[in-house]
Amino acid sequence: MKALIKKFGKINSSVLLLCIIFLVLELIGHRHGETSIEDFTFFPAFFGFLSCIIIFKIGVSLRSFLMKDEDYYDK
Amino acid sequence: MISNFPPGFIMIIGALLIPFLPHIIRQIYMMILVLISAYSLTLGFGIHSTINVMGFDFILFQSDSLTLPFAIIFHIAAALNVIYGAHEKQWKQHVSIMSYSGAAIAAVHAGDLFTLFVWWEATAFTSVFLILAGNTYRSYRSAFRYILIQVTSGMFLLAGAIILLINDGSALLTKFDINSLYGQLIFIAFGIKAAFPLLNGWLQDSYPEASEIGTVALSTFTTKLAIFCFAKCFAGTELLIVIGAIMTFYPIFFAVIENDLRRVLTYSLNNQLGFMIVAIGIGTELAINGAVAHAFAHILYKGLLFMGMGAVLYRVGTCKASELGGLFRYMPITAVCTIIGAISISAFPLFSGFVAKSLIMSALGKEGLVLVYFMLLFASAGVLHHSGIKIPFFAFFAHESGIKTKEAPLNMIIAMIIASALCILIGIFPSTFYQILPYEINYQPYDFSHVVGQLQLLTFAAFAFICLWHFKIYPPELNSTVLNSDWVYRKMIPGVLIPLLKLVERMNQKFEEVIMISFSRTKIFLSNTMLKNKVFDREVGSDTLIVIQIFTVFLILIFIGQFFYK
Repeated sequence: MKALIKKFGKINSSVLLLCIIFLVLELIGHRHGETSIEDFTFFPAFFGFLSCIIIFKIGVSLRSFLMKDEDYYDK
Repeated sequence: MISNFPPGFIMIIGALLIPFLPHIIRQIYMMILVLISAYSLTLGFGIHSTINVMGFDFILFQSDSLTLPFAIIFHIAAALNVIYGAHEKQWKQHVSIMSYSGAAIAAVHAGDLFTLFVWWEATAFTSVFLILAGNTYRSYRSAFRYILIQVTSGMFLLAGAIILLINDGSALLTKFDINSLYGQLIFIAFGIKAAFPLLNGWLQDSYPEASEIGTVALSTFTTKLAIFCFAKCFAGTELLIVIGAIMTFYPIFFAVIENDLRRVLTYSLNNQLGFMIVAIGIGTELAINGAVAHAFAHILYKGLLFMGMGAVLYRVGTCKASELGGLFRYMPITAVCTIIGAISISAFPLFSGFVAKSLIMSALGKEGLVLVYFMLLFASAGVLHHSGIKIPFFAFFAHESGIKTKEAPLNMIIAMIIASALCILIGIFPSTFYQILPYEINYQPYDFSHVVGQLQLLTFAAFAFICLWHFKIYPPELNSTVLNSDWVYRKMIPGVLIPLLKLVERMNQKFEEVIMISFSRTKIFLSNTMLKNKVFDREVGSDTLIVIQIFTVFLILIFIGQFFYK
């Protein structure tokens, strides 16, 4: 445990801990969503994680053709 | 007498005195103006003042359950702006902010399209000085583009209003039909100010170029005025759901790669407007409440984020992620307030974003719009990524930039603390907050499913960011320009139009040369032959030749014209 905190940093480890707590919370109570797809166990967790990765991936791939020099418009 | 004055009007008139007052008294005076203007809100609902000009009744002051929440938040924002800008000793920006806030508040209370048009343009002309106050060559050029686009929006509104007046004999501000011509014109006018997809270039172009005080004021009024107008005139228009969903979706990717943190916030602003537009498109009572609640909460937390970044800009002189970092040690209060804004915009439970956004998400769920629902859920994770994490992380933590500075001025800190407190209070006491919404509501945002679902979504999205950063997958921020829809009129149109004009000019020259040469050669040839054969004498010969040539041209034209006519 200490090794993990040392390797991953205090704040990062506490976020990980929170993630685990919220997963456990779902197992204790009964969570239901606005739509039936959301009712799958841990759906928001998967959705949140994947969305963030997808946003990052698309964002980085857009860099190649949307990103120009800082003085692009001043030329 | 004062209470019959349209709210905001007193602020515009009062702004004229600001240049003549000394610094501190000026701030107190502006606060009093805001309070007097707010006093008019106690008058209750109904039409309170009209003025007849050239046989047309301008409804200057009309209030109902929809205008009230917007009027309240606009006054709060105006007061916060006064506090936030108190360190600024020059009068110019204060005049601009006071009259701009006043115009926006007056616009909300307009009862007909022509009154709205006047205030609509007034918001543009008063706010452009805030962009000019950026005081760089870039902001100067950006201000010109800003005013051109805002005036264009006004022209659409005016055209729609005139057509409506001719058709119906009145131009009252009520619900409009999107299928009519005037409806479409007004829709486009509102759409430009609400920064619809492809019409949004001005927002990201101009706001980040304004002064640190100016951006805070700008982020509050113009776009939310457009949201108010949509809620009033186009509630339940299904097209808005589609437009809104796209709006929540695509600015995320731009925000992720943008380097200027204030520009990241404008993309985020654009994305938040999308949530409101979707809600207005649904049009049910719950959804409209959601849109208004979201606009209310949004003004506070977005203002707070802009205040935080404004404080950084004021102290450090830049807002670029690539140049900032490690400021937490020097600006702890600014950092904490910005983090509260970031948590609020990410919609963590117990903060304002959560109680507002839940209404919209529930309205979507109730209507069974599953695809849009998931687009907005995806966008919620995106908001956490670019506003919730990127803004505070790159400004106050990330790498050590080596910048040494001091905490923001006291007035800025007070404004940020008040805004933070409001964000938290709204989050903790949602039922009190819901009382100001246009429709009666019986909604509980804090149930187990909502809270756990939202917390899972957000913590795991945050965890994904942490993984990307920790394992060094996240690329470093670069000094760059990210292309947006304003590229069309800043690069593409000049890029195509200027060579095209030059080409046309060259062709015209060539054509003239060819015609001149052929005319003169035929003239010489014919006159030579005619003179040799002694058909005509010289004088008459050349005159006749001209007549013959004109006649021939006519013949050719008639000949060609016949084909087209058929």
